[in-house]
Amino acid sequence: MLHFIINWLASTPAFAAPYALAALGLIISERAGVLSLGAEGFMLVGSLAGLGAELEFGGYPGMALIIAMAATAAVSLLFAVMVVTLRVNQVIAGLAIVFFCQGLTGLVGTMANWTNRAISGLHEIAIWPLSEIPVLGRILFTQDIVVFLVIPIFFIVNRVLSRSMVGLRLRAIGENPDAGDAAGISVSLYRFAAVVAGSAIVGLAGAYLSVGVVKVWIPNETGGRGWIAVALVIFSRWQPWRALAGALLFGCIEALIPRIAAAGIQVPQYFVAMTPYLATIAVMAWVGVSKLTWSNEPGALGQPYVREERR
Amino acid sequence: MLSGPQPRGITADLRRKRAGRAKWRIGRVNLEVRQGISAWQQAAVLAAAVMVGLLICAAILVAAGVKPAALINEFVIETLTDPENFQSILFQAAPLIIVGLSASVAFRVRFWNLGIEGQMIWGAIGATFVSLHAIGPEITRLPLMALFAVAGGMVWIMVPTWLKQYLRVNEIISTLLLNYVAMNFLLHLVYGRWQDPKDAFPHSPQFASFERLPEVGWGVNSALLLGLLLTALTTWLVRSTRFGFYSKFVQDNDRMALAVGVPIGAVTLISVLVSGALSALAGFVIASAQEGRLTQSFYEGYGFSGILIAFLARNNPVAAMIVGFLVAVLFVSGRSLQVFYQIPFSMVQLIQATMVICVAGSEFLMRHRLHWVR
Repeated sequence: MLHFIINWLASTPAFAAPYALAALGLIISERAGVLSLGAEGFMLVGSLAGLGAELEFGGYPGMALIIAMAATAAVSLLFAVMVVTLRVNQVIAGLAIVFFCQGLTGLVGTMANWTNRAISGLHEIAIWPLSEIPVLGRILFTQDIVVFLVIPIFFIVNRVLSRSMVGLRLRAIGENPDAGDAAGISVSLYRFAAVVAGSAIVGLAGAYLSVGVVKVWIPNETGGRGWIAVALVIFSRWQPWRALAGALLFGCIEALIPRIAAAGIQVPQYFVAMTPYLATIAVMAWVGVSKLTWSNEPGALGQPYVREERR
Repeated sequence: MLSGPQPRGITADLRRKRAGRAKWRIGRVNLEVRQGISAWQQAAVLAAAVMVGLLICAAILVAAGVKPAALINEFVIETLTDPENFQSILFQAAPLIIVGLSASVAFRVRFWNLGIEGQMIWGAIGATFVSLHAIGPEITRLPLMALFAVAGGMVWIMVPTWLKQYLRVNEIISTLLLNYVAMNFLLHLVYGRWQDPKDAFPHSPQFASFERLPEVGWGVNSALLLGLLLTALTTWLVRSTRFGFYSKFVQDNDRMALAVGVPIGAVTLISVLVSGALSALAGFVIASAQEGRLTQSFYEGYGFSGILIAFLARNNPVAAMIVGFLVAVLFVSGRSLQVFYQIPFSMVQLIQATMVICVAGSEFLMRHRLHWVR
C-alpha cells in the first residue's frame, strides 16, 4: 500500500505540470482582459511542434520545448489579431482557434509523418543528495526538468503580475481598459503581449505532454486538458497560487488512473477515463456553490476595447 | 545642484524632438463606430471575406500537394456535376443541416451549446437501444428509435442546463467536458456489452432493414427530407410563434426582456431542449441512415460544423440549411482528397476554421469605419 502511494505521489507532479503551466499562461492573458478559450488549440500546437522538433533535429528535448513555445506564440498572433485588433467576439475567436489548431495539427502531423513515432524525450533528473532522502527524495527531487521549471515560472509570473509596473498596467487594462487608456497605457499593446506571452507558456504545457509524458504524437493528443485548464483558471479565481493548488489536485486525480490499472484493480477503464472531466465539472459546481465565484474576475474579461466607444 | 538653464534646455530639446516627430509622423487609424450599414456594403464586405478565405484555403491545399489546376475540378465540377457525387452530398447534408439548426436554436438564447457531439452520441445510443431490445412492432420501430434518441439528447443537455441554472457553471466548459464523458461511455458500450458478436469489431450489431431510414427515390434518402422538415419546423418556430419572438427578445436584450416580463427561464429551457433534441436526431440520422449501426467515432467533426454553420448562417434556419449543404460539399470533397491525395480529413476542419476566422474578422469592417488621421 505504501509502495502504491509513493508511486502515485511521485507521478503526480508530471501530470500536474501541464495543468499548472497552462493555467499560469491563461491567467496572464485573462488578467489583461482577454478570455482565452483557445488553450486546447495552443496546447495541441505546442505538443506537435515539440514532438516534431524532437524528431527532426534529433533528441534535444530542451530545444524542442523552446521551438514549441515559439510555434505556439506564432499561432497565438492570429488569435491576438482577431481579438485585439479586429475585436472579434472572444468566445467565437477562441473556439475558431481551437478548431483551427485541431485541423492544423492533424494535417501537419500526418503530412509530416510524425504520427505514432516514439521519441526518447525528457529524462528524470535526480538532484543528488536530496534524492536520497527515503520517501520525499523519490517524490520531490526525482523529476524531469519541466517539473522543476514550473516553480521558477510560477514565481516569475506571480511576481510580475502582482509586484511590477508591467503587471499593474496589465491588471489595470483587464479591470478597466477605459481608465487604463486614459492613464496612457496602450491597451492593444499590453493585450497583444499578454496573449502572446501567455500562449507561449500554454504551448510549453502542450510540449511537455508530448515530449515529457506521452512521448508520441497522436491527433487530439491533449484530450480536453486545455478546457480543464480553462476551468482551473475560474476555480483559481485568477490567482496563480490557487491555480498551482488546483493543478496539483487534478494531477493527483489523473496520476491515479494508470496506478490503479498497474495495481491490477479491476475497474471499467472507460469510466475511470471520465474522472478528470467529471472532477472538473464537480469543482466548477463547488465554485458556484461557494458563492465567492466572480469576486476576482477581471472586470473587462471578454470585452473588446474600442477607444472611440469609451464612455 | 540644478542650475537655471538646465531645465530650459531639456524643454527645448523635447520641443525639438516633438517637432521632428510631427513632421515624420505617418499618422494613426481612428475607428468610428458605424451607426448602420447598407445591405450592399455588408454583402460586399462578406463576399470579400469569403474570397480571402477561399484564397487562403486554396493556398493551403496547394501547399499540401494538390495541383492548382485540379482545385476547381476537384471541388466544384466533380462534386456538383457527377450524379453519384451529388447524391452523396445530399446524403451528407442531412445530419449537417440538423446540427446547424441545433446550434442556431441554442445560440439564439445565448446558450453556448458546444455539447452537440455528446448529444449526438446519446441520440444514437437511444436509437440503438430500441434496435437491440427490439422494442415495439416493425412499423413503429423507426419513430420509436427517433423518440428514444430525442429523449437521450434532451436528458444529456439537461445536465449543463441544470448546472448553469442552479450552480452557475459556465456552459461552454460543462457542455464541452460532457462530450468527453459521452465519448468514453460510447467506447464502454461498443467495446463492451454492445459489441457486435459476429465480427468482434467495436460497433453494435447491424440494424435490421426496417430500422434504417429508407430511400425515397432518385437516390434521395428520407434523412434529407427529415432535415428539410426540421428546417421548416424551426423556421416556423422562430418566425411565427410567440416563443420565437421571445427568444429573439432574449437574444437582443435579456435585461429588457426580463423587465417587460418575458419568461426568460422557460424560453431558454425550451430552446436548449430543442437544441439537444435536434443534435440527438442528427446522431440518429447518422446511425440509422449512414452507418446502420452504432460506431465508435461517427460524431467526429459534426459538433464543430454545427457551430460553424450556425455562426455563418447568423442563427437563421433557412440560411443554416444552405450553409449545411455547402459544408456537405466540403465533406464529400474532403473524402475524395483523402482517397486521391492522402490528405487527412483534418483538412476539412482547417478549411472550415479558416472560413470562420475570415468571416468573423470581416465583421470588424462592418461595425467600424476606419479613418486615417495624420
